[in-house]
This record gives sequence, structure tokens and C-alpha cells, in this order.
Amino acid sequence: MAIGATHIDHIVISSNDSAATAELFARNFGIEIKRTMSRPGTRAHLEFAKLQEVVLEFAGPGDVQPYDEVKARLSGFVLAVPDIDAAVAELRAKGVDVGEPHAAVQPGAKLAGIRSGTNGVPLALIQYGALPIPAAEDA
Amino acid sequence: MLKKIHHVGVVVRSADEALMFYRDALGLAVTADRVIEDQGVRGVLLQVGGSEIELLEPTRDDTGVARFLATRGEGMHHICFESDDVDAELEGARAKGLELIDQKPREGLAGMICFLHPKSNHGVLVEFATPLPGGH
Repeated sequence: MAIGATHIDHIVISSNDSAATAELFARNFGIEIKRTMSRPGTRAHLEFAKLQEVVLEFAGPGDVQPYDEVKARLSGFVLAVPDIDAAVAELRAKGVDVGEPHAAVQPGAKLAGIRSGTNGVPLALIQYGALPIPAAEDA
Repeated sequence: MLKKIHHVGVVVRSADEALMFYRDALGLAVTADRVIEDQGVRGVLLQVGGSEIELLEPTRDDTGVARFLATRGEGMHHICFESDDVDAELEGARAKGLELIDQKPREGLAGMICFLHPKSNHGVLVEFATPLPGGH
């Protein structure tokens, strides 16, 4: 039985200046930065582009420190699944170390990190629509 | 025009061992698995939605993939954008002054491919690919 991964949801590109790296990718590859945000509860600065079903997430510090050069790297990706609890149970039954699913930054989504077997790739699962989305006045 | 993410490349010590996770545990289907002699790698593509994960196992010690594995260990290696016209993408990159690894497209696991130097992308290795008719 498979976990039913439907697609790569997003790929993370970490940078010491995520805005500069996002702008460079936009210029070099003609991709459009659709959204920027500061992650709630952290000082991270995120910028997002989307190519069909896959989001490119440019992640970096909110307070960019002086640097000699902008340095970026591929730092993981996330697979979308239709049922994260079933997927986690399936992987654990196969001996894979998977974290407990928890609320993701994305509204209504749950995320679980995979901690073994990934060949050095920070890898996680995400399910959208797994949690109720708070009404605006409750957020 | 770049259409989508064709694949993410992952360097591994052993494709067979990596398949125990990506194929057997995650349940992803293998769409290609072959040794590319002139590049000194065994490449395995696994489909997930409209994109793929490419596992790269070096088969010789004198290749970029082997050097990556020796210095950084296993992990994410590159990102590949799919285009209908890899020649045009390469010329466009050249016109923008980007540093190129491949001066012209060559055949790879994903079709006709070329790599841009990471120096032009803040250290991220980027590939362009145009799949060949009939797929892999």
C-alpha cells in the first residue's frame, strides 16, 4: 500500500537573503513571485512562486544581516497526501521514523516531518483541509 | 517558457537502497532507471504528480555527482525546470549573461537537458529539460 502522495507541494530554497534570491529567480527564469510573508511567530521572511502544482518557497531571515554574497541552497521538499494520519501510520508500519502530524502554517493544513530514510533530504508530508480554518475574527 | 518543475535531483550513495524508501515506502512509481555512462551516474526517476524525483548514484569517482557526494554527502542536488524548447531556454540564459555548464543541450535521463552554473543562481544548481517524444 502506498501513502497516496499526489504531488510535490512545495520545494524550499533557503537563502541568507530570500527576497534577493526570489528576485534573482524571477529575473533568471521568468517566474512570478506571487506572495511574500513573515512566518507567524518567527522572524522568517518567505517569498513564493508557483509553477503548476508546485510552489517554490524562498525562505530566509527577516532581518537580513550584512553578507559578502547571497548564498542559497535547496533545503527540502514536501509531498501532498490526501490523508496524513493514514500516510504516517503506513510509513511507521514500514519502519520509517515520522513525526506527529501538527498544524502547518498553511491554514487548515497538517504537516509531518519524515526523520529517517530520506537520503539526506529534509522531507515532509502535508494534507490540506485537515483542520478547520478559523474564521477571520477568531484568527 | 518554463512550464513546470520537471524534477528535483537527489544524490544518493546507493540507488537500490534509496529505492527502498522512495519506491517501497512512499510508493512512488519508477519511470526510468538507467546508467548514463558518459555522465558516470545511475539515474532513477520516480513520478509524483506532474513532477518527478531523480535519484543520482555516481558510478565513477571523477564526476560532479561523485564530488558532491564526497564533499556534502547525500542530499538535494539540483532543481530542473521543464520547457518545450530547451535550446531557446539555454540561449535565453546565455543572453542574460548567466554562467552555463553546458554550452549546448545534451541527452539526459529527463530528455534533452542542460545545466546552468550555480554561481548564477546564488549557489543553486539549475537544469532545463525538454522531454523527448515518447517520454523516457
